Amino acid sequence: MYLANAERRGIPWKSLRGTIQNDILKEYQAQKEWIFPPEPSMRLVVDTFEFGSKQVPQWNTISISGYHIREAGATAAQELAFTLANGFEYVRWGVDRGLKIDDFAPRLSFFFNAHNDLFEEIAKYRAARRIWAREMRETFLAKNPRSWLLRFHTQTAGVSLTAQQPEVNIVRTAVQALAAVLGGTQSLHTNSYDEAYQVPNEKAVRIALRTQQILAHESGVANTVDPLGGSYYVESLTDRMEQEAYAYFDRIQALGGVIPAIRKGFFQQEIANSAYRYQREIEDKERTIVGVNDFVVDERPEVEPLRVTREAYARQLRRLARTRKERDAQKHEGALDRLRKVCEGDANTMPFILDAVRADATLGEICDVMREVFGVWEEPLLY
Amino acid sequence: MAKKIRVLIAKPGLDGHDRGAKVVARALRDAGMEVIYTGLRQSPEDIVEAAIQEDVDAIGLSSLSGAHMALFPDVVKLLKKRGAGDIVVVGGGIIPDEDVAKLKRAGVRAVFGPGTPLAEIVEYFRSSGT
Repeated sequence: MYLANAERRGIPWKSLRGTIQNDILKEYQAQKEWIFPPEPSMRLVVDTFEFGSKQVPQWNTISISGYHIREAGATAAQELAFTLANGFEYVRWGVDRGLKIDDFAPRLSFFFNAHNDLFEEIAKYRAARRIWAREMRETFLAKNPRSWLLRFHTQTAGVSLTAQQPEVNIVRTAVQALAAVLGGTQSLHTNSYDEAYQVPNEKAVRIALRTQQILAHESGVANTVDPLGGSYYVESLTDRMEQEAYAYFDRIQALGGVIPAIRKGFFQQEIANSAYRYQREIEDKERTIVGVNDFVVDERPEVEPLRVTREAYARQLRRLARTRKERDAQKHEGALDRLRKVCEGDANTMPFILDAVRADATLGEICDVMREVFGVWEEPLLY
Repeated sequence: MAKKIRVLIAKPGLDGHDRGAKVVARALRDAGMEVIYTGLRQSPEDIVEAAIQEDVDAIGLSSLSGAHMALFPDVVKLLKKRGAGDIVVVGGGIIPDEDVAKLKRAGVRAVFGPGTPLAEIVEYFRSSGT
């Protein structure tokens, strides 16, 4: 839809920059926004790599995401290991498609969480870069140094925000953001202090932004690369993170790889176990969460509510109805038919998805066509 | 020995945030209850059907999408319609104070927000389910 919009506005695709998330593996593991089973979903992802590398060369075709894995309850080591295992799985699928690794690997990007433990988080980012560079060079034999680079976005841990004494979240977020910067993140999202309650209000968002600006413009922490490299503690933590990640790679391999491990519920169970352990630690006061299980005050938190009007919802429904009424019905139907055919075969779906979008097909309609052909995923139930 | 308390933990609606529901399910199981977890994207009809089939004492609904005002009362209404109004319905998730009062009027017996200790939830099910 982005590309079709650029086309309508006369903007050449070659000048477009940006990122789509497009990481389906972590959906089965953690975020749970899946529709189709893993194999057809992976095909769609590789279609994007292939199409993007030729047509939209400055675009990041995927953001391989540990963020949601961590939010769902994983430890730092699990976040690292599962994200990289997913990354290597995407590379294998791309190579199996016949793509040259150096054609698509430079546009793969990553997305990590920044949680409470400052040094552990920094070690996690450093270990991620080491492992990715090594494996891309030595295992996948990428020649272009840009294929070895692990470029990543970071968001502070939404799950760490407390409903109790919510203003304290400003401090929590600042420490997490510092970890991300010291760990070398390429871009950063700081959460707003009221997000345990709601989509943030304007003031809370401004404070979150100012937190980044203090780090960028006042603190000086962004003036150098890898400032903690050589610290005995951070180096040893980085080594430990690496070892833990490789131990997980072996376990995933023993289960037959990432997709078989998803079918067996391996990641899901590991994450659920960690989430439960974390909660127990809080309940048993082995882990202190300021304002929640220690340093508690008896007060009703005051958070200015964000009001979303019903009108916004109604306006969108009207736009949708108008689009459906005014579009060329024949063109629309033809495009969806061609999309169905290509889904049934094995050609790249991207040009056909674009044609459907040009014919004003909605996301729902495109997904319905794919649902008919690909079926839907049913996740293993566990807790 | 007293009959074990049977609880259905369900995720109505479309959001994929299942961390809390799973942690609560595990805590109730560890407290000796029998727990059935439905998984994601359940309609109120699915949930009520499962609750009746499984003959549960209570249902815990988890929603973090903002759709709780539509979905939670529907579960209560459908249970009554099916003659299973004795099943206790409680909710959890990101639920504003003003909605909590409305949900309680609609028959949702308790609402647990972020930061609620597991012990409190376990105790609630224990005292209401027997």
